[in-house]
Amino acid sequence: MSTREILTLQFGHYSNHVGTHFWNIQELGFDYTGTEKSECNNDVLYREGRNTKGEITYTPRLLISDLRDTLKSLPATGGLPDEDVQEDFEWSAVEKIQEPVAQKNEYLADIDTKPLNEIVSKKYQLEDQINTWTDYLYPRLHSRTINIVKEYQQGSNESFDIFHTGQSLWKQDYGESFSDKIRNYVEECDSMQGFHVNFDCVDGFAGLALGCIEHLTDEYSKSILAHPIIPSYFPDNDPTTDEEKEISTGKDTQRIVNIAFSMSELTQLATLFVPLCTGNKGWRKPGKPIVFDYLNYKPELYYHSASILASALDTLSYKYRLKSNIYTLSDACADMTGYGRKMAAASLRLPFAIPEDQYINEFLEINEKSLYTSITPSCDIAPDKIFQLITIRGIEEYLMKKDERNPKYSNVKEMFELYFQANHFLSATNVTICEKPLQIKPPFPNIFSEKLNRHGFVTNEKNQTKVESCALMAGYHNGNFLSNTIENLKKEVGRIKFAKLHKFSGEGCEAEEFKERLETLAEFQNNYEECLEL
Amino acid sequence: MAAISLLNPKAEFARAAHALALNISAAKGIQDVMKTNLGPKGTMKMLVSGAGDIKITKDGNVLLHEMQIQHPTASLIARASTAQDDATGDGTTSTVLLIGELLKQAEIYISEGLHPRIITEGYDLARNKALEVLESMKLPIEINRENLLDIARTSLKTKVHASLADVLTDACVDAVLAIRTGDKPVDLHMIELMQMQHKTATETTLVKGLVLDHGARHPDMPKRVENAYILTCNVSLEYEKTTVNSGFFYKNAEERDKLVAAERDFIDQRVKKIIALKKKVCDGTDKTFVIINQKGIDPLSLDAFAKEGMIALRRAKRRNMERLALACGGSAMNSVDDLTESCLGYAGLVYEHILGEEKYTFVEECKNPLSVTILIKGPNKHTLIQIKDAVRDGLRAINNAIEDKAVIAGAGAFEIKANLELQKYKDSVKGKARLGIQAYAEALLIIPKMLAVNSGYDAQDTIVKLQEEARLSPDAIGLDLSTGEAIKPRDLGILDNYIVKKQILNSCTIIASNLLLVDEIMRAGMSSLKG
Repeated sequence: MSTREILTLQFGHYSNHVGTHFWNIQELGFDYTGTEKSECNNDVLYREGRNTKGEITYTPRLLISDLRDTLKSLPATGGLPDEDVQEDFEWSAVEKIQEPVAQKNEYLADIDTKPLNEIVSKKYQLEDQINTWTDYLYPRLHSRTINIVKEYQQGSNESFDIFHTGQSLWKQDYGESFSDKIRNYVEECDSMQGFHVNFDCVDGFAGLALGCIEHLTDEYSKSILAHPIIPSYFPDNDPTTDEEKEISTGKDTQRIVNIAFSMSELTQLATLFVPLCTGNKGWRKPGKPIVFDYLNYKPELYYHSASILASALDTLSYKYRLKSNIYTLSDACADMTGYGRKMAAASLRLPFAIPEDQYINEFLEINEKSLYTSITPSCDIAPDKIFQLITIRGIEEYLMKKDERNPKYSNVKEMFELYFQANHFLSATNVTICEKPLQIKPPFPNIFSEKLNRHGFVTNEKNQTKVESCALMAGYHNGNFLSNTIENLKKEVGRIKFAKLHKFSGEGCEAEEFKERLETLAEFQNNYEECLEL
Repeated sequence: MAAISLLNPKAEFARAAHALALNISAAKGIQDVMKTNLGPKGTMKMLVSGAGDIKITKDGNVLLHEMQIQHPTASLIARASTAQDDATGDGTTSTVLLIGELLKQAEIYISEGLHPRIITEGYDLARNKALEVLESMKLPIEINRENLLDIARTSLKTKVHASLADVLTDACVDAVLAIRTGDKPVDLHMIELMQMQHKTATETTLVKGLVLDHGARHPDMPKRVENAYILTCNVSLEYEKTTVNSGFFYKNAEERDKLVAAERDFIDQRVKKIIALKKKVCDGTDKTFVIINQKGIDPLSLDAFAKEGMIALRRAKRRNMERLALACGGSAMNSVDDLTESCLGYAGLVYEHILGEEKYTFVEECKNPLSVTILIKGPNKHTLIQIKDAVRDGLRAINNAIEDKAVIAGAGAFEIKANLELQKYKDSVKGKARLGIQAYAEALLIIPKMLAVNSGYDAQDTIVKLQEEARLSPDAIGLDLSTGEAIKPRDLGILDNYIVKKQILNSCTIIASNLLLVDEIMRAGMSSLKG
């Protein structure tokens, strides 16, 4: 079957951090030698084109939305070399106003000057040098990719932090030119699977993204997989004085209302949506960072936490990007959304580290904890009565001890299927196994524990080697348990008095609308209550 | 101590004279930035971002959007100017200049002890008088090509280079005239602006028909057809899985294939119906057939159309469906069930043009195009954007003139005349309010002054010359920027929009009065106050 294309849309600063890691992983995983057999069809996410000089380009099929001032060193045209023709007549008297040239950090400077293999093997300490996502963006982008919101600025007095501000922005010229670019991309595709929409659901970008999703629903009958993302940390999270505390609570209230509004809209518009956050609570502050074994990351660094979500997104989408597969995004959505349960949870195990002297089946036998950790906030994935789509990468055949006399399973896939069958009562599990592990190449942050060897397995020896690849596992899960997540959100938002939401009423939101949105959520929750199973 | 500091000791505030000084200095600041850009001889500003992105413009509104204005008063003025642009499409720089000048003139009197309230009362009276003068200077026009050309040229010359302005003027006027029917209001959306990064800016042209920014996606389709039927439709010709075929339940490929075949057949039926119509209307004649679909067309369907020698375009812009019906005739179809020849439009020529990875399809030689395209060309992105902004304003200017059925003499003529009339009027007003009128009259002169300065002449010399001339002449007198002498703008075809001037007078007076009456500025906790 021909390539089934996907168009990716990213709205908001944190989502672009996640996106940057995601596209870095894609592009650094390309094989230019033609010798390696790749499991993944890159054409699903990428497009081939031609620049004005006639050179072939290969760029992500991607649209980005962010505020001005976040681009820093990246030109808004995406950074691909372009023909620059001089004007045919002189402008009389031009006054030049030049902003200071943005400094490139060590990594960006190296991309421009050094060969790839040198960069990949170099050790970077980028933590202090990264202010924005373009500071570690490896790919060059197509000229239509970047769409800057000019009206608002980070941290200025007119901030972009209300759902309705984003909504009304979509209805202006911005939305029109954005939807035109979507159309340009879709027109090029022969048989599209659908859209990935990753957006920050805590500020104005939520409204902007939802405006866009509504447009997609109206215009294209394709699957829309939305990931509302909550950043791992906000600068006002640790107030010290009373005044700061008050400001922090005020902002937090805005954020949770934005989250609730996004969710209630998504229940109507998206095909499937999965909230993501590396904090365990998500709303009323992101909460404690989720603990992954053998990972040490700092939640206040977007550069760190975004890399975790990016590797999850990469693995989750593997299922319908495989060369050999006929499974598509619409299948995934259909599988997960029975009974109108459009919201699902995601999980991750990064790294899937087993001791290097153990076989995987031995490890599974003694393992008592759940194999995966939820990366959907305020959500504990129940062990029973669930649907799940699980993708496991990097667990190769040789890691499995074969029982020749009494083979209960003949390959890794069957082994995992059996494992999930035994551990999850009344559940349906679809397992996908990919041989290739996740490649860890700079600028992926070095957040791995020292106990891991080069291939991401646990070693007892002292070692200083860098982790170059690791196995991991990620999945989508759906079941009654998500009712609690919605309940939790509903309860938190229900406590807020609408009269206190000055900024929302200032942007034209009315008390009635606020009430209606909460009711939509309550109604949606009912889908999870009934005991319809398999 | 200000009352606010009792409530919130951390609040910042500025009172009375200080508050006024703050507002006036902000207005002066933004005026300073913009004043060099006024008029056809004004300079351009080139904005270069940290990453090297370039923007060249002299359009006040564009500049205000690009510049990061932090000062609250300045951003208030900027918003008034944006509102001016939304309402009329022109006069944004003038708005900023006039607000600044009104405050500047008021400052002189206020520093001598006059209460701001009295000045604003004078401003109100002066505004009403100025509007009367404006009304009396209205030149009724006939809507014909020559008059509209003058209007468009005056507006465009303040936005782009003169040689380019001439090209754009013709394109804009012809575009509006083409889509105008009877006395019905003109819908400017029916003029499509299409950008092509190619060749030079002066090759921007008007296409009497449509230019679509996509092409046929099949190698065997003809690149050029003549005498073509156009079918515009909104029907999916692409196989989509609608049945829920879940990975849990359907594991083998055969079962899937069966489903696929059933679905596929459904689409094939649609394709066959379109081909049947094509055969009916085209067979035996020299006519050809073009399909323009708003929904998708998949490779198999494209293949079927290509075999018949048809051109098929997919994913047309929603607005283009409406435009196509206006340009070519026929109507957009939502189903293929009842296709007849009367649903079809006609175009004499349809051809494809490829530029790098971009494809363009020209639909030309339509019988009676009520929708046209201005094809903007330019060597690079910032030129394209600049031209697009200018064309948009040019079209608005023409449309304003059509709606007003009148124009105003340009080149500062109105301001000179209004100044004279206000001076006379002042004497008939009793009390201190006349000082406000005096200030207003002075402030209006900022426009001819800046026009003179930007062209390299002395402001005072020019004003005196013009005022003398205007006193003697019954006609409006304006400034000739190439000689620095007084002229009659009407004879040279320098004409401005009536509505633009009216809007400027109204909004500037209100904003300036409001700013003058501010006696306290405070900034308190961000969590409770908006902005």
